[in-house]
Formats: sequence, C-alpha cells, structure tokens
Amino acid sequence: MLNLNLKTTPFHERTSALCQPQNWRKWAGYFVVGSYEHVLDREYWAIRNSAALIDVSPLIKYVIKGKDAAALLHRVTTRNVHKMKVGQVAYTGWCDEEGKMIDDGTISRLEDSTFRLTAAEPNLRWLTMNAVGMDVSITEVTDDVAALSFQGPNTRKVLNKVTEKPVDELKYFRLMTNKINGVDVTISRTGYTGDLGYEIWMDKKDALKVWDALMESGSDYGITPVGILAMDMARVEAGLFMLDVDYTSASHAWIESQKSSPFELGLDWTVALDKPGYFVGRRALEKEKREGSAWKMVGLAVDWVGMEKLFGKVGLPPQIPGSAIRGSLPVMVGGVHVGYASTSTWSPLLKTYIALAHLQKPYYEIGTDVTMEITVEHHRRQAPAKVVKLPFYEPEWKKK
Amino acid sequence: MSHYDNIIIGAGHNGLVAAAYLAKQGKKVLVLERRSIIGGSVVTESFGDNFSVDSLHTGGTLRPDIIKDLKLASYGLQPDSAPQPFITLLADGSPLTLDVESIKRISEKDAARFPEFVRFMNKAAQIMDVTYSTIMPRLPMNFGFKEGYGLLEWALELKLAGRKDMLNFIRALPMTAQELVEEYFESDIVKAAICAVAIHGSTLGPMGAGTGYTLIHSWMNRGGLAHKNVGKAGEITTALANAVKAFGGEIRTEAEVASIKIENQIAKGVVLINGEEISANQIFSAADPKHTLLKLVGAQDLPPEFVWHTQSIKMRGSVAKIHLQTNGNHGIPEGTLVVAPSIKYLEKAYDATKYGEVSEEPYLEVTTSGNTISIHFQFAPYALKSGDWKLEIKKVEELAINSLSEYFPNLRASISNLKSLSPLDLEQTYGLTEGDLNHGQLMLDQFLFMRPIPGWSNHKTPIDNLYLCGSGVHGGGGVSGAAGRNAAKSVR
Amino acid sequence: MTANQYDAIIIGGGHNGLVAASYLARAGKKVVVLERRPIVGGAAVTEEIFPGYKFTEFSYVVSLLRPEIIRDLELPKHGLKILPLPSTFTPMENGDYLAAWDDHDLTRRELYRHSPKDAEAYDEYARVMARAAKAIKPIINLIPPDPSSMSIRDLMGLLKVGQYAASLSEKELYMVAKLATQSSADLLEEWFETDALKGTKAASGIIGTYLGPRSPGTAYVLLHHYMGEIDGAFRAWGFAKNGSGGVSGSIYNASQALGVEVRVNASVQQVKVKGGRAVGVILENGDELDSKVVMSAADPKRTFLQFVEQKHLPDDFVTSIQNFRARGSSGKINIALSKLPNFTALPYTGNGANSVLHRGAVSISPSIDYIERAYDDAKYGQISKRPYIDMIFPSMIDPDMAPPGHHVMSCFVQYAPYDLEGGWTDQRRDELGEAVIATIEQYAPNIRECIVGMQVISPKDIERIAGITGGNIFHGELLLHQIFFLRPTPQWADFRTPLKGYYFGASGAHPGGGVMGAPGMLAAKEILKDGML
Repeated sequence: MLNLNLKTTPFHERTSALCQPQNWRKWAGYFVVGSYEHVLDREYWAIRNSAALIDVSPLIKYVIKGKDAAALLHRVTTRNVHKMKVGQVAYTGWCDEEGKMIDDGTISRLEDSTFRLTAAEPNLRWLTMNAVGMDVSITEVTDDVAALSFQGPNTRKVLNKVTEKPVDELKYFRLMTNKINGVDVTISRTGYTGDLGYEIWMDKKDALKVWDALMESGSDYGITPVGILAMDMARVEAGLFMLDVDYTSASHAWIESQKSSPFELGLDWTVALDKPGYFVGRRALEKEKREGSAWKMVGLAVDWVGMEKLFGKVGLPPQIPGSAIRGSLPVMVGGVHVGYASTSTWSPLLKTYIALAHLQKPYYEIGTDVTMEITVEHHRRQAPAKVVKLPFYEPEWKKK
Repeated sequence: MSHYDNIIIGAGHNGLVAAAYLAKQGKKVLVLERRSIIGGSVVTESFGDNFSVDSLHTGGTLRPDIIKDLKLASYGLQPDSAPQPFITLLADGSPLTLDVESIKRISEKDAARFPEFVRFMNKAAQIMDVTYSTIMPRLPMNFGFKEGYGLLEWALELKLAGRKDMLNFIRALPMTAQELVEEYFESDIVKAAICAVAIHGSTLGPMGAGTGYTLIHSWMNRGGLAHKNVGKAGEITTALANAVKAFGGEIRTEAEVASIKIENQIAKGVVLINGEEISANQIFSAADPKHTLLKLVGAQDLPPEFVWHTQSIKMRGSVAKIHLQTNGNHGIPEGTLVVAPSIKYLEKAYDATKYGEVSEEPYLEVTTSGNTISIHFQFAPYALKSGDWKLEIKKVEELAINSLSEYFPNLRASISNLKSLSPLDLEQTYGLTEGDLNHGQLMLDQFLFMRPIPGWSNHKTPIDNLYLCGSGVHGGGGVSGAAGRNAAKSVR
Repeated sequence: MTANQYDAIIIGGGHNGLVAASYLARAGKKVVVLERRPIVGGAAVTEEIFPGYKFTEFSYVVSLLRPEIIRDLELPKHGLKILPLPSTFTPMENGDYLAAWDDHDLTRRELYRHSPKDAEAYDEYARVMARAAKAIKPIINLIPPDPSSMSIRDLMGLLKVGQYAASLSEKELYMVAKLATQSSADLLEEWFETDALKGTKAASGIIGTYLGPRSPGTAYVLLHHYMGEIDGAFRAWGFAKNGSGGVSGSIYNASQALGVEVRVNASVQQVKVKGGRAVGVILENGDELDSKVVMSAADPKRTFLQFVEQKHLPDDFVTSIQNFRARGSSGKINIALSKLPNFTALPYTGNGANSVLHRGAVSISPSIDYIERAYDDAKYGQISKRPYIDMIFPSMIDPDMAPPGHHVMSCFVQYAPYDLEGGWTDQRRDELGEAVIATIEQYAPNIRECIVGMQVISPKDIERIAGITGGNIFHGELLLHQIFFLRPTPQWADFRTPLKGYYFGASGAHPGGGVMGAPGMLAAKEILKDGML
C-alpha cells in the first residue's frame, strides 16, 4: 500500500520513545531525532564527557565488491586506495573533472576486494558512471545496514563490557568485526565529533538488540542518547564540515563560485597527487596545487571582549543561540568583504563563539584579524575575530 | 621499440589523408591497418573472378584541395567521371531519370521548379563544404587566430550566400526532408526519390527532423543526386596510400592496434594485438570515436562525464550491402537507381528500425556497372530485437532480390555470384562500431561543435597527443577527407 | 474620436489578445478586442458542457503563464488562483505504477523502487533541465533579431543574443545546443532505464507537435514545458481555479479594470488597408472600425492568409506562411463522472474522495515505444489505436467544477491527426472517444460505469470552435525551424509584419504556445516602441 510518510530508522522504536520534545529532523528521507531533551546541554556534554549514542542510520552506504573494487575507489576518490590495508578506514572527498568536491565520506576496506563507502548524498549514478569497463558491483545498503555513532571518552569502557572481543587494540581509523549481544557487528574507530569514538554497523534486524545492550551496560558510564543537533555543535569544534552547509556539491551548484576544491576545504592531506594512474579531477587538482588556492576553510574564534562591547552598547550581555547556526555570515577585513562563515556555534567547552569560515587569499593565514557579522538587537554589527587553526578542540585521547 | 613522430590508426581515406599531410610536413609517419588491405570503408574488393565492387561507399570524390595538395592525380587518381543519371522507378516499373526533361513527363510544375531546387541545393552544399573544412573550436569561442580566421571565413561564406539562401540554409538543416521537398515539388515520386538521398546511410526517415541536413550532406558528398565514379572507390585510397609512401610515410597492414599506451593522461604509443609496442609523439585515430575511446584507450583513463557522452554517441547502423555478379541480363540501367516509390514507403521502411526489425519493404539504392550490381539495403538495424545477423542476412538478401525482381524480372536468373554484408559484418570486417558507415549518425545533435561529442570537435581528446581524424569528428561523414585534413592541420 | 475609432484593434479575445490589450490600455491607449465567439478566452475558456459539470474545453493546465504578466496585470486581484497539481501517476502495463510527487524524498523513494540508478539520475536530470531552462529563459523575453539583416535594431538584437550566449558556461552552451536538436527519446535514454519514467517524461516532448518521441527536436518541446517550473511563481504544473477559463477570466477582468473594450460576436472579415498600412478592420456584419494599429492574436494562417488581401503582402512571405507547419495532432475528451474511475494499480476504497492519485495527473505513457507507436499510426493519417492520454480530475482540486460527489475528468489525447485519412466525421470522432475509453479501461476497468456524459473534441473541432487553423494547440508546432527568429517566418519574428501598422502577437509568434501570454505582452511592447500610437 502506498505510504507517503518519511521513512523511520531501525532504531525508531527506541528513539521515538525517548524523544521528549518531538524535535525531529529530516535526514536523507528519514526521521531522526534532533534532540532528546528541550535543551541541548546534557546531550552535548555526553559527547565530551561520557558516552553519546547517536543514530546515524540514514548515512548513505554502498558496498563495492569485485576484482576492480579498489580500482574504482582509487579512480573516484582522491585517496590512494590501493595502499589501504584490510581493516583500514580512510576519510576522503571526491571531485568532478574540474577538481571540485562532489561529496565526502569514508572508505572502509572490509575485505581485500570488498569496500564500504559512506556518503552524504546518493552517489550510485556517479559511481556507476565511473565503473564503465570494470568488474565491480555497487550496491546501496543504506536501508539494510543500521549505524550507531558512539562518541565520548567512556565509549571504550562501555564497548569492552558488551563486545565479544575487546576493542582496546582497535586503532584510530581502523575497523574490526565483533559481536554485541550475540549479534554480528562491525566496529570502526571513527566519528563526527573529534572525540574518542566508534561507529557500529549492523544488520537492521539486529539494531534494537545492539541498542539495548549498549544502553544497559552504558548506564554506569553516563550513556546518553544524543540527537543530531548536539553532534552538530561538536563537529564544528572538531573542525569537520558538512555537505550542503559548509560546501555545495559540484553537481548541485548553480554557478562556478559555489563550488569548492578539497584544498579549499583544508583536505590537502587526503589528496594523493603522488598516486599512480588517472583519478577524477587529477589535472585540475595538480594545477591548483601548483598555483595555490584562492580560498581556504579556516576556524574563526570570535573575540569575546569585542562581542561584549557591541552588546554592551545597547545595554545587553552577549547573546548566543543554543545550537549551531547554519547560515552564511559575512566576514570582513577593514570593511571589505573577504569571505563568509558557513556554520557558527557557541562552544560550551571552549567558552568561545567559533565558526567555520571560508576566506580569500591571503586572509586565510592563521592569526589574521578579521571581523564577522553578528546581529545585535536587530542591527548588523562586525565582531572582531581571529583566524585559528582547525580543529578548535582535539582531546589527547582522540587518536590514542 | 620503434618510434615515430606520428602513428595513424586505420588506413581508410581519412587516416591516409591525415598521414599524407603529416608526411608532407616531413614527419616520420606510420599508418597501421588491421585488415590485409588498405582503404577502410572506401575500398574496392574482389569477391570472385570478375566480381570486383565498391564494398561499402560507392565511388565518391575527395575535396579538390586535398587532391591538389597531395598531388593525387600523379598517383593515379582519375578525374571525375561524367555526371551519372539518378533514376527512380514509376509505379508501372518504368525508370524515370531525375532531370528537367524526364520530370516533365509526370509534372510540368515540378520540372519547372527542378532547376531552382538544384541551384539551392548546390548553394547549400557549397556552404556545407566550407563548414566542413572549418575546424570547429570549443565553445564559448575562446580560440586562437588560426581557428578564428577559419570561423571568420565560414561566417563570411554564410553572409556571401545572400540573405535568402543563408536563411533558407539555416532553416533547411532542422527541417524534415519531406518538408523541404514539399516546398518545391508536388509529385510524390520525385519527392520520394530526393528523400531517398536524404536518408541514405542515416537511420532516420524522411519525416524525421534533421533530414534536411542529411540531404544537403549527401548532395555535397555526391555532387548531386547520383554517385560518381561507381566501382572506383578503391582508386581514391590507393592513390592516397601512394602519396603517403611518396612523402616518406610507412603503411603496415595486418597490424591491428589492441590499445593505446597511456601514462598520466598522455598517449605514448600503441600496442598491437601481437604484443608489439610502437611509440610515437602523436597518435591519430581514424577509427570511430567509440572504438578509439572506449576500446583502444579504455574508460579507466577518461573522465566519467566524457565516458558517458562517448557511450551516448548514436551509432545505430542500419545498412546492409548485397553485391551481385550477373551474366549481364539483369535489365537494370547503369547509374544510381532507387526503389523509393513514396515518402510514406521510405518512412515505413525506417519505422521498423525503431523496434529492432528489418524493413519488410526496404529502401534500396542500386548502383550498376556492367555485370556487377551493388544494392544498398535500408533498413537493416544492427541491433536486432530478436535473431542473429548470421542468419538474418539471408532474409535481407531475399528481400532485396525479390523487391528488385518486381521491377526487373530477369534479375534473379542472371545472378551468378552474391556477396552480402550485414551490419555485423560492417562492424567485424570493416571495424565500424554498430555498423555505422559515418562513425556516428549524422544528426543535428552530432553536428558542428557537437561532433563527436560536445566540446571535442577540434580533434583533441582528454588524452594529450591523441587526436581523432576519422569520420566521427566534425568534417567527417562521407568521402570528402575533410576530417583527416583538418586533424593534420590542427596539430603543430 | 468617434465610437468606432481606436488607437489599437486586437483581433481575438484569447489570452494573448487580452494580455496585449491590457498592456496597451495600461499605457493609456484606447483599445478594442474583437472576439468572434460569444465568450472570451479563446482556447482557454471554461464552459458548463453538461448541466452542473464545468470543463475547460481545450487547454487544461497552466505553468507557462509568465509571472511578470501575473504581477503587471495584478491577476490574483482579478481572480487568478493557481492550485497545485501534486503528482503524476503512470499506470504500467505489468499492473504496477510509477508515481512522481512534488516532494523530493517521496519521488526518490518511489523511483528507487523501480531503479536505484534512475532515482539518482532523476535528481541530476532535474538539475540539468532546470539549468538549461534558466539558460534559455532570457530568450523568452527577447525580441528575435534577424541574423541576415544589417539594420541597427537587428544588429543590436544579435549583440544581445551574443552577450547572452557569452554569459553561459561552456557546459550550459552545449546543454542548450543539444537539447535544441535532440529527440526526447535519445535524451531520456541517456539518463534512465525505467520505461514508464522515460515514457512519461517523453510525453511532454510531443505535446502539441506532430512528432514522435524519437523525432529529433522533441527535446526542445520538453524543455519548453520545463520553463514554467523555474520561476518562483509556480513550482510545478498547476491548475487554475475555475479551469483555464479562470486564467483568461482574470485577464479579462484585468483588461476591464484597465478600460479595454471587448466586443464578442465580432468576427473580423478583413483588415482595412490604406496607403500601404493597416488602418482598421471590417467585421462580418459590415461594421467598420478604424485604428492606428491592428494586432492579430489569431493563428498565422488566418492572420495573413484570411484577414489580409494577398496583394498587400510579398509573395515570399505568403509562401512561407503557407508552409508554416500547424498540424493539429491532439484531441480533448471531457468526461462527466458519477464517481471516480478506480485504477487497478492503486485502488481506492470508499468513494475515492481521499484518493491521492486522483488529485494529480494520470498519464497513460507506459513506455517510449508505446508513444512512438501511437505516433506511427498518426503519421500515416490514423487515430492512434492506443493513444497517449494525460488525465486530470479538476473536481478533485476544485470541487466547484462538478455537483457534490460527482467529478469531471479532462483527457488530453494524442495523436488525433487533423489530416485524418478520409476526414473527420461524427463516426471518426466517436472512434477517438472509444480509443481513449478502451485505453483507460485497461488500467481502470470500471471507467465505463462512471461516465455520465462525454464530449470528444477533435483537432477539426478545435479549428471550428476556437478558430485555430489546423487545430494545433500551439498555433504552430514548436519545430526547430519554427522557433525564435524563424517563428512564424524568417525576417518577421519581431511581431511586426510586412504590412505597416499590422502586428502579430499570438502563440504562432515567438516564444510560442501554451497558456504563456508572452507573445501578447511582447507584441504590445513592440507596438508601443514603434510610436505609431
């Protein structure tokens, strides 16, 4: 029968029971929880302080299998996929022929010739277009594979309580197969918060068993179901950007200036120009590398004293919204427009108003003084800010 | 490993023209041909004693400037034979030659308008000829002086054609052949005979938009309605091969290229099917773009969108050839004869291809030279909905002979030998992907700067030092040699 | 001025005529519109054909109506209300269906069910088409220059076209060039694999043409239909409150507010010519009206071959108007229903009042081959045995169109060739109706028991009733050699004609047909520019 409702994730039975404010968000055709509580604080602090359990099932996932699976990903993405070991995970962007980003995600080498690719947007057509003449199958498994992001300093302890094999040896950006509550899972040491964290992948039929096991054994460690709004604050602190918010996919852009290269997004380390053979966008990226990038994504830390002054003029203390703002804010130097901030948020941890900003050459150098637009009592004002290195926050246990 | 300045893949007319121009510039040139004979689609072959025919293209003429530049007359190329008659068949089976005097028999009005039609078509063909000899740059028009100069000449030619002819030329391109001829003629038999030339070699019916363009194209290629130099296609390529050798070029037959060697998107040489590697500074492929890019280069070394567009090149050959050796008592007049009784007949013949079927009532073009008869059969789609060309070709032979026998009852008895070529043979023997004689359909969306695909009409490819010089690129289609000449001239 | 003395006379009270009149009146001119029928609206009128059941006789959806006309003439104030048509439903030959919704996620999920690859290609395709529509949109409001002319106006016009072309990226230029020349089948086969999707998309490439989806040039028609979707005004095809008559009704109301005089039952016999210029018209009843300029909103053939004596026009011009292709190929079946037909692919329960599919369009277009075969019939002068049908149920969106609980159904049907072999008779008209019902019956077996009344309109009827020669709904096919500077004929695409003071501003002029209004608006602006008023 025809169903015109949005899809629900395999965890919906649990998440919907816990979602107090009915704060739902639409993500890739699914309902997901925006926040479980009326204010985000407790959820945010679970990420930074204990253990946050986040339903990330709508993440688009492909299984790429076959003799040429590595060759396909090598050709599509900017990473040297042939060098990846089984059990390794690599974060990557992928570009069009002009070297402009289409999307980004992670590649997991599950077996020698089996990979999982995650993406923010559907990419089946692009992958298929690139697979002409290759011996490879590409299957979307978004609906079949449930995913939980488990983030925070206590997550290792919690996992060790429920997994069949301990996860102590699981290194940063590596994955392992394991069992939770008798159920087969894949655990990768990855995440979107910049903290210690794992992502747990399982068949959708097993989703609730895994959820329940984690919630039960995590209760002593402060496990907290967390919605995507709190994760949005954490990812800005971690300097991680988001498609359609911080950059526009080259395949969606209406005009050239909306597009970004991986260099402009600070992904230099993912572009393996030394890898052999053709990959999509190679020539354009080589050229940009030679000639330098016109733009760069950087961190902005807004000067609190300067903010206080601006608000003080109208007799107010600084006002900051309680969640990340996904809206473009002009950035200037000496009254001249030099770029824009794409996401800004109050960092509860750093006690700073921070932003991901895209600045023109040469203003993207670390330490540059700029100003960013804020709204003070219905008036647009320029708050002083400084260009800082990304990420804003990186705990020592993130990679340990 | 041997090394050359230029390797040319394919010893068809365009490959040889390119090779000759390059060799003439003093380059060390090697032409590689997969067959044991040169000529490609412009070839005269013997299929038995005294059974020698133009296998695919019937006769034809190269551009006069190529003949002059390459001094082809001195290598044995005969001048054009006298204008040949173009004959259609009336309902009663009697032949009607398309000229003013004969047309008078069926329509005074059409006879009166015929000279004006011929005048316009000659003018249009002239504009088309200049168009083809102009190298098409990428859009927007960011080009150098050389390309700009060519375009200026082209624009000038358009303006010089006069206000009315220019507008009518532009207007004629997207028109259907039917609409175009209906503006001149009333007799269906005259209209259909002309429409036959419009759809010759194309997988389109006379009611299809863009057959105005193909009519002008064919007219330009033939220098009118009828073929010239029937039975002498091979002389063209033989003369060209002689020219290549005289300029110091080398030609190797039975040397099929398996792949083009590529390093970092730069062509370095070729690998033959026997494993032999030959390197070169520049490689020119006269093979069709689909074969060149998807087989010889391979999708893995090409950008994805480019691959997609290349896959989308419309080939769709639908021509079969049936060559007959007879005892001479066939009764068919010499020259070019068409079985095209009405526009509807032609259109219905085409309809079959849309559904992967062979036309039950085909359009035939018959060229007769003494005892040999060549039948060009349309439509016989390469992509059959069901069946296998190895068997289906028998049906096509029967259809062709039956259909002609209705007009020429002595034909069947006169046949002593037969050689037929299915669209699959066109692919397998002559290397024409999907049996497309023109290396890509002549359609408006595969015309000018969109041939072979948008943005790559200037002979270049995403692989440095690899150039396209065959019929599949702008200037190509037909026997003019413009594509080969333009390619050689576009490279320093 | 005397009673029959005007600044401008507009022949034809269709939407283009009314738009032109309103723009002229807005500029302070004294304008009269002459309509031969007893009602205004031309092809966009709504009539009560069966008591209690209202129909838009000919045109049925709006999306092309230019938003600047809606704003300039303040049409919403005069009663224009465009209601959304939220979905398209294509029943398939295997008993399944394909639906497209106005919600992106829903459409993607539905397409995914048929082909994951197509679900994605669809998004990408929609973006490409939107970009192409954006790229060619400026052309709509451009006065087509004559590329062969050396006049300052044409050279400036060419410069504008050149500047516009230079503003496009390389990719956009190719996209437009390709779309302008391709067949819709070739275009769609590059993108998709699901037959029903290709069939349904291809259908909009043949509407109003006498071509099949495999005919080159049909991709342009497809794009023409995309045009309406990129303006903020409408996100998709819409349906005007009170039918398309609601559109002309609102333009009529606007024209009245601007002081336009509209005369109905005023059939024009001839344009009066004095000293080589148009100076008024003579009506069939013998009345004479004088004016400084005359504009025709009738089709090109009536405009130039009927209203004007041939001696006033150059021979060449007359020949090219005679050659202008305006072959009607579509019919319209208006059906009064006692209940909604039930489609086996997605049955409703109860009385169907909540049926989702009936709120949108239902398209009988299971594959490209299906439509091409329908065209094959028509090409040789026959009614399609299995035609393409685009159905909507206006009463589901606008309940005032039918008695409570009852419904009206409008079926656009193609192909029904104007030049039917043997000619159109009552019997052949019934045959067309039967072909439509028999086709629908395959997908909705109870259709016959739902029917209370049925009106079949052949292209011949369109010619007779709406006065469009050849019965072509676009007044002339959107063929490559009949668009832009070639519409209706080379050298005369700028709304002027060889007869001074006589203007042409109808669907047969640039930028073409559909309930768009642009030709009327552009012609009015050109008339004002010439300073003869």
